[in-house]
Amino acid sequence: MPDPVDPRRFAVVGHNEPKVDAYALVTGKPVFAGDASSDGALHIAFLASTHAHARITSIDTSRAEALDGVSLVLTHENTPATMYTTAGQGFPEPSPYDTRMFNPTVRFVGERVAAVAAETPEIARAATKLIDVAYETLPAVLSIDEALAPDAPIIHGEDEATGIHDAARNIVSVVDVDIGDVEAGIAGSAVAVDTTCETQYAQHVPIEPHVVRAYLDNDGRLVLLTSTQVPFHVRRIVARVLDLPVHRIRVIKPRVGGGFGVKQEILLEDVTGLVTLRTGRPAVAELSRPEEFVSSRTRHPMRVRVRLGATDDGTLRAVAMDVISNTGAYGSHGLTVMSNAGSKTLPLYNRAPDVRYRGRTVYTNLPVGGAYRGYGATQGYFALETAMDELAVKLDMDPVEVRRRNHIRVGETSPIFAAIGEGKPGVEQTVGSCELERCLDIGVEEIGWADKRGARRRDGPWVHGVGMSIHMQGSGIADVDMGAATIKMNDDGSFNLLIGATDLGTGSDTILGQIAAEVLGVPLAKIVVYSSDTDMTPFDVGAYASSTTYVSGNAVRRAAEQARAQITAVASAMLEEDAGGISLRGEAAIGASGNRVTLEEIALRSLYGSDQEQIGATASFVGDESPPPFLASFAEVAVDTETGQVRVVDYVAVADCGVAINPHAAEGQVEGAIANGIGYALTEEMLISGHGRVRNPTLFDYKIPAAPDLPRIRAILVDSYEPTGPMGAKSVAEIGINAPIPTIANAIYDAVGVRLRNSPFTAERVLAALDAVASED
Amino acid sequence: MEFVAAHDLDEALAAKAEQPDAELLAGGTDLMVEVNLVHHRPKQVVSLRRIGELREVSSTRIGAGVTWSRLERGDHRGLAEAARTVGSPQIRAAGTIGGNVGTASPAGDGLPWIAAADAAIEVRSKARGTRVVPWRDFFVGVKRTSLERDEIITAVVVPDDIPEAQEFAKVGARNAMVISTVSCLVMRGDDGFRIALGSVAPTPIRATAAEGMLNAEAKITEAALDEVARVVSEEVRPITDHRSTEAYRRHAAGVLARRLVERSLR
Ligand SMILES: Cc1cc2nc3c(=O)[nH]c(=O)nc-3n(C[C@H](O)[C@H](O)[C@H](O)COP(=O)(O)OP(=O)(O)OC[C@H]3O[C@@H](n4cnc5c(N)ncnc54)[C@H](O)[C@@H]3O)c2cc1C
Repeated sequence: MPDPVDPRRFAVVGHNEPKVDAYALVTGKPVFAGDASSDGALHIAFLASTHAHARITSIDTSRAEALDGVSLVLTHENTPATMYTTAGQGFPEPSPYDTRMFNPTVRFVGERVAAVAAETPEIARAATKLIDVAYETLPAVLSIDEALAPDAPIIHGEDEATGIHDAARNIVSVVDVDIGDVEAGIAGSAVAVDTTCETQYAQHVPIEPHVVRAYLDNDGRLVLLTSTQVPFHVRRIVARVLDLPVHRIRVIKPRVGGGFGVKQEILLEDVTGLVTLRTGRPAVAELSRPEEFVSSRTRHPMRVRVRLGATDDGTLRAVAMDVISNTGAYGSHGLTVMSNAGSKTLPLYNRAPDVRYRGRTVYTNLPVGGAYRGYGATQGYFALETAMDELAVKLDMDPVEVRRRNHIRVGETSPIFAAIGEGKPGVEQTVGSCELERCLDIGVEEIGWADKRGARRRDGPWVHGVGMSIHMQGSGIADVDMGAATIKMNDDGSFNLLIGATDLGTGSDTILGQIAAEVLGVPLAKIVVYSSDTDMTPFDVGAYASSTTYVSGNAVRRAAEQARAQITAVASAMLEEDAGGISLRGEAAIGASGNRVTLEEIALRSLYGSDQEQIGATASFVGDESPPPFLASFAEVAVDTETGQVRVVDYVAVADCGVAINPHAAEGQVEGAIANGIGYALTEEMLISGHGRVRNPTLFDYKIPAAPDLPRIRAILVDSYEPTGPMGAKSVAEIGINAPIPTIANAIYDAVGVRLRNSPFTAERVLAALDAVASED
Repeated sequence: MEFVAAHDLDEALAAKAEQPDAELLAGGTDLMVEVNLVHHRPKQVVSLRRIGELREVSSTRIGAGVTWSRLERGDHRGLAEAARTVGSPQIRAAGTIGGNVGTASPAGDGLPWIAAADAAIEVRSKARGTRVVPWRDFFVGVKRTSLERDEIITAVVVPDDIPEAQEFAKVGARNAMVISTVSCLVMRGDDGFRIALGSVAPTPIRATAAEGMLNAEAKITEAALDEVARVVSEEVRPITDHRSTEAYRRHAAGVLARRLVERSLR
């Protein structure tokens, strides 16, 4: 374990270095997959199912194929029948193999039925309309309750599917954990709370939709330039689906215009690759915005019931969480998102000796769930932090105080860490850093909690209230996620940093470069960062599970330390001094005597002088724990009691992410996640018709928050140091999105005394809740 | 797509006379959405943007080409308030009142003001010259007007005696760039109250029952205000769609009307 270092002594880490890709991005360089030239490329368009559940009885593509400019039409009849999962997870993926490239049975409105490759996007689209499909419609399952009904239609009855817990009952996965006796614990508690919250279908809305360009290199290998979070998983899964050896595929991730989890999914690479293999021509596929909404992936809607038992001083005795997650038509991330609803929430309150978790993931004939920032924790926290607020009300205690009495602290553990993993048991861990108390102190102060809580300030029809919640997440998947980094030294004393880690706009190239620069004693400008390319960079699972800073960052630190050892060895020979006394600073190696040689001199000697060798190293890291970042969240809202409209007036999010490698970038992650979560709390909802059709698949009708909708969001980072992290860092990308739903719900309660248990809190829902309370009085 | 950038009204009218199916383009903030989203490809487009006379504005005549950004700073308080809620700065810099009238969406934020002002729409054709159509006769259905195919909207004609006390408010899913769930405009003058609403019927409407009720009151009491909310909720004719339900729109229409009547008394 590295010694704690005072982060203020860092020269590059902890500084607000500009992003290494900022200049290219703001000057509009062609950095995205969609910017690549599509000269000579075929364009791909998809035909989507109009039925929620139907068997394809015949599919006639002859009219489409006859259209001038059409080169190829793909359907289930002429594509591989290999079963797989689109979830870009580590191998073997903990998601069921329940899909083919094109399925002979369609299971949701929007599922792809055929793809056309043609000379122009217009011809391709026109040709999709010439495909004649005959369907035999099947009864559809359009809600969690319908899925679990005794006589429910079976969605995945096909024999080929594997990894489904109980296909006959539409149950994808089950997790049951019992620690102690929760029923006895609740029965024996002085106070008990029982609350059930439900979340909606929501989409990630990356500004750049999924886009892939495929072509063959001069050796006939398939190259996929794709907007992905998981280039190495893309390579492996596409190899499986197309029955190609892994070495015949190269995946390049250029700049990515946002992902938030939806690009942890292999959606277009297989089809685009197949078009290129069949035709020998480059091919391009890009989802339209409606396709991105309907046919890509969404956040799993969940119904979460939380029961708490506590002593009358507010100490938790028992916590029970029951989760039903709706994965839609396919089980992508079905098990793991559901698992995280418990594994990333329950350890936060480790005082309770009795803990129970029950999780079920069910199929429905609705859009498909996937990875989405927060990854189940978001849904779990809505119910958990609502329940904690209810507990505070019942005890007549300050909700902040109830949290203080129960949250996990440094040196403590929770049995849940070991009990719930991702497709296998989790790992035991002891919390090595937790500044939640500081986070709470700052949040209370900044929001003006003491003055505002319970004050119900009125401003015409608007009534103000404040609410709060606390959160934890993880930093990578312990024992599963591996990241590697390669560093090599150049003639001028600069370095190439080659990483499989996937910057999708998060700034990870920058912070990984900062870590390398810190170890090697050079400015960031001397680190040339390149990510990610399966031919050029070492393996990395990719950007998900808040892993990059911690997992890939530790790999970079190790690689840099190994390179540093090689450099000091050369310096020791040059300076004729003991290597142990040499440190790297200011682009030079400085001996104990104060004598120095520059890195350039060292590089020139090792490349051209004597004992020539390439200075450089490759190192890997896999966490044996997943240190949680923590967050305290506070909001002030105003509720219009006559129209039900909710306005977020002020937001304070105080995070403990360990050492922030780049504070601006880390604050940006918190601000972005809070904004993302405010949309999820107030306006974002995919509305689905009685036939399973998404009614609002455009940005006209699906409202993400825009600048005038957002309050001042104050993202505050507290000083913290994670002993196992690179330079003391943990993670920060996901945690913020868990906060707005419960924080705003609790603030609405403070303002007007109604509990919102179904998100989003639209004006109509708030008004209905107000009316319900009024009619009780 | 053929594109005519008319330099003056006559040129535009001539183009329309010759090719009545040509689409008129003002700010393009509705038309281009149609083109992009609905894949509607007009054969010919006649741009009105260079026509100076359409951009003239006085207190009694607002040229069709006047943009929301101009109207935000205009004399008519209610229209200025409505203008401030339209889209974003970019949309307000491009979008015009003529386009709002031409689209005739039930959610057009300029339309309740036109209805409350009892304004008329001035239209012109090469063949028949100018006619002035009262707003009630102009808006005939959802996105349907009585404009003839060869006509161009030239102005909104405003009576010179409209009340100065004007209040506008709208409810939508969010603050930025939102299509109104309900919008309301109230004017209070010597002759009494006028209440107009948007998004609660196929066309902008006046809440005549509520107006009648209010105007019969000697003094506007709390009870009268409650009654306004109730009557308005009853007399609107909203629908349920993916933006809102009929019940919520009725409720919100009543709330907004009551709120604006009260505000106009201050
Ligand atoms: C992002 C966004 C946000 C928006 N927000 C709002 C909002 O908050 N409130 C709101 O009310 N609207 C909103 N709109 C809709 C639109 O901006 C307005 O309706 C605007 O007033 C249209 O004016 P325009 O000049 O752009 O019309 P255009 O798009 O140029 O034309 C619209 C229609 O009117 C016809 N037309 C235009 N001028 C004339 C004329 N002189 N004679 C006859 N026909 C004519 C055109 O042929 C076309 O059919 C929004 C639009 C967008 C894209």
